[in-house]
Formats: sequence, C-alpha cells, structure tokens
Amino acid sequence: MAIQKILVAYNFTHLDQKAIEFVTSTFARLDGIEITIFHAYTPVPEIETQASMVTGKLKSSLSYLSQQVMQRENEFKEITEKLAKNDLANAQIHTIFRPRKKDIASEIINLNRETKFDVIVLNRKAARVTRFFSGSVSHKVLMTLKETTVCVVS
Amino acid sequence: MSAEEKIDIDLFKVVFRAMAQSDNLEIMANHLTQLLVASLEIKGCTIFVLNPEYDELEVLASFGLSTDYVQKGPLLSDKSIADTFSGKPFVIPDVKNTDKLQYPQDAQKEGIGAIVSVPINFYGKVIGAMRLYHHQVWDISDRDVDSLLVLAENIGLAMTYTRVLKALKTIRYTVDDIHDIWMLD
Repeated sequence: MAIQKILVAYNFTHLDQKAIEFVTSTFARLDGIEITIFHAYTPVPEIETQASMVTGKLKSSLSYLSQQVMQRENEFKEITEKLAKNDLANAQIHTIFRPRKKDIASEIINLNRETKFDVIVLNRKAARVTRFFSGSVSHKVLMTLKETTVCVVS
Repeated sequence: MSAEEKIDIDLFKVVFRAMAQSDNLEIMANHLTQLLVASLEIKGCTIFVLNPEYDELEVLASFGLSTDYVQKGPLLSDKSIADTFSGKPFVIPDVKNTDKLQYPQDAQKEGIGAIVSVPINFYGKVIGAMRLYHHQVWDISDRDVDSLLVLAENIGLAMTYTRVLKALKTIRYTVDDIHDIWMLD
C-alpha cells in the first residue's frame, strides 16, 4: 500500500486535541502512514534596535519574546514526542514549527504545494465572529486545494 | 505620588511600525500583544472581539498567558469586566479584591495580580476589548491608560479596514465566477 501522507494543523487548543484524537482513531492502526503535525507561529516583530537609545531598551524585551517562542517550540516537541511514543507509535511522525508570513490557510496551502499530502486534518469552531476579520481557514483550504482529502473536525 | 508612566512616543513608534509590517490583522494584533507584554514587563495581553450574537468575547490574539487560562470557558461580556462594554477603560488593580471577574479563581491560579481592560470602539460602538494582565498589583497611570485607548482605537481601525477589504474580495471573487454568458453588453 502506498504511503499515506497526513497533515494535521495544530494550534494548542482543545479542538486541535480533538483533531489529533480523530487522526489517532482513524489512521493509527494502518501501516505506511506519515503524519506531519504543523504549527505556524507569529514571529517576533523586526525592530530597528540600533536607531535610538530608547528602542535599544527594547533589545532585552525582544530576547524575552524569542525565549517565549522557544518555550512554545519545546511544548510542541513534547506533545508530538508523546504522540509518537504512545498513540501514534505505528506511524512516522514529522513536525514543522515555523514562522508564519501570511494567514494560516495560505501557510497550509503553501506547505501542501511543497509536500503533497493525501489528507489534511483541520478543525473548526462554530459561530466565530473573528472569522469576519481573519477569514475561515477551513473554507479557504477547501476552496483552494484539489485532489486532497480535507477533514474538518468540529 | 502618581504612578510611573511607561508608554511614551518611542514605544508608540515601535508598536505602530511593527503593526505596519503586516497586512494581516491576526499578525498585527499578535505583534501588538507581544510588544506590550515585552515593553511594559507584564504577564500577558489579549485582544478580544465581541460576538454580538452570543455576547461572548472571542480571542483574536493573545500572548503570555497559558493555553488553559485562555481557553478556560466562554467569556461573557456582561460578566467579565462588563464596565469595558460601556465604552470606558476599567482597571482592576488587585484581582483578589474585585467582583468584576467571571473566573476570579482561574485568574489567581494563573498568577495574575491585576488587569487593565480597554474597549475597542468602532463608530461609538464597542466591538472588542484589549486586556493587559500584570503579575502583581498594578498602579497604572491615567496617561498610560489613555495611551492604551489610542492603541485599541487603532486596532479597531485595522479591524474595520480588514472587514471592508474582505467584503471587497468576496465581491470580486463572486464577479469573477460569473460566466460571460450572463453579462449584459
């Protein structure tokens, strides 16, 4: 059987946990499964710290922000390592933790262009007003991708 | 003696320049929360959008708080620092001595000492709130609260702009979908 490549978008929420549970219950027992767990974080803003004395004071603050990002990355690794040892021990697990440049939907679409996935697992919280401003990730992914199975856990 | 003023023109410059780096509202709001936490040396900051249908606050961006605290449960606008939704900022200098919080025990468990909540206004209507969380009791100056209001107003403007842009894009995609046969000469 050909290897099934599965992408799970992860953002540390309870719904993401549900998406992982769905992947575990649906694919964990199959052979030849490759699961990529993906998180795109907002990078620390680029600030010209040499420009003035006052902005120079922000240097230590920016390193604090970078530390927070590293802490998040460690948290992400811990979660995925635990999954690889227990629930998804049968599958090959890959992780991608990288800065986002665009909206999350575009990041997922771009990643799918780089690595063609057979299945993409997303989650969707009902009745969110923030969608008016940031757009629906699942809607954009569904409308854009072709020949890819997209599962939306809600 | 009045509280120390921490927000000055240089901080404004840094924050606005960082916000201007992105055309994406979520990234913009995330940068704002990151910079406020770092520069004011506070515990966390969250930007909420008001869901008028359910009177719930939805998180647009958050930094510094634990995932468990951010997802502790639905945040209702009439139970969680409701005064913000009359359009005015509200300061809780000590979370141990307030009845304004919906989840006071969670706040203490998270290690929050004080909260400042400022409304995000749109043409006189409150469409969201920006909240800053300090580790300790916080004696924030009136001028800093006023400065936070200005930052919140700018987020309100960015939200309005994003909404209009999204509406325009939707119209464009709809028009693009119309086949020539349906177009009148």
